[in-house]
Amino acid sequence: MQRIDVLTELSQLVTEEDLFISSLGALRNDWWNLRPGGQDNTFFLSGMGTVAPMALGLALGLPHRRIVALDTDGSVLMNASGLATLADQLPPNLTVIVFDNSIYESIGGVPTLTSRRTDLAKMADGAGCINCVTANETVDFAREAHRLLVDDEFGFLVAKIQPGIHSWAPEKQKLTDGVEDKYRFIRHVEALEGIRIHHGAPGPFA
Amino acid sequence: MHDLAMGAVGSKADADGTKTYADLVVEGLKEHDVEIVTALPESLLIDVYRKVAADPAFIYVQAASEQDLPGVVAGAYLAGKRSVMFMENSGLREACEPIARLIFGHRMPMVMVMPHRGDLGEYNWWGHGHSLTMEPLLKALGIPHWPVRKLEEIKPSIKRALIHADAGQTAVALIFGGDCVEVPHYAKD
Repeated sequence: MQRIDVLTELSQLVTEEDLFISSLGALRNDWWNLRPGGQDNTFFLSGMGTVAPMALGLALGLPHRRIVALDTDGSVLMNASGLATLADQLPPNLTVIVFDNSIYESIGGVPTLTSRRTDLAKMADGAGCINCVTANETVDFAREAHRLLVDDEFGFLVAKIQPGIHSWAPEKQKLTDGVEDKYRFIRHVEALEGIRIHHGAPGPFA
Repeated sequence: MHDLAMGAVGSKADADGTKTYADLVVEGLKEHDVEIVTALPESLLIDVYRKVAADPAFIYVQAASEQDLPGVVAGAYLAGKRSVMFMENSGLREACEPIARLIFGHRMPMVMVMPHRGDLGEYNWWGHGHSLTMEPLLKALGIPHWPVRKLEEIKPSIKRALIHADAGQTAVALIFGGDCVEVPHYAKD
């Protein structure tokens, strides 16, 4: 299975009520086109190693809302301590999905350490996370993703994907930068939750 | 569990003799609607971590690495929740990457509190490097930072740091020292 297959399955399992934190790389354009309703429900991160902590903060702050983290093998490996931080909280509204292609695909396909002996689901399990599973086939991914999304428990699903970058037409590619992404996401959450996050001026203490 | 931080002999109380730096930090956080506190505990603000962890008014996220702290703060902010991160000043070195990529890349507000390990009179040989690298790193990162050394400065500083970070969509650092940290034995009067 390839990333686009997995994300297509995932897009059928989630709703416009959910919020997403996404890692970088080819995942960005795929999820930009597949996110529910094409809405600003996804915060697209620019760096590796911060998806899990950021999704944790979002999930703890909005415990009534389903949060889905879309992470990668390179990102999890870069900040493995984040697994222990997640495990200490285990927010039931958070599901982490890791796309593990065992290579740094965006830079030309250099193998990551999951291509050898490292098993991300076992790492998460050893850190104390619960519901840590690996899916190797699309049908397995769809079944496990559905189970973890509806079980009202924390979940950590590793999708072992084959290399391959889906080609999107220029008009389908994500053009926004990190700052625009932030404001779009904030305004989306404000509308979804009926709250005000960023006041502009004057501030909340004025 | 040992009662005192490494090399510490306790903490000073305010003018009324009733509140310590940790009491005032907790009060300041509550008065300004901070709901999520994330930290990698260290010795100089040890009572803050104990009090926050034990207080049901807070969600306390103890991190395994300072690399996790900016992410937790940013995620909480996007949820509409006020959040503050605490770490030793050495943690700044560990947190540089998420600060540069996440906080700067997306212009996220973030308030971080750190004690000044390596302040004048530091008797731990390993603590001197913490001080030597702290301010140059903050300057290199372009992060506004202010010292907090008197007990009466704690609550106003927390309030102003939250305002500053939110209005400027920027990172802000408060450097606790003087009376606002555990009193090292060498500094006991």
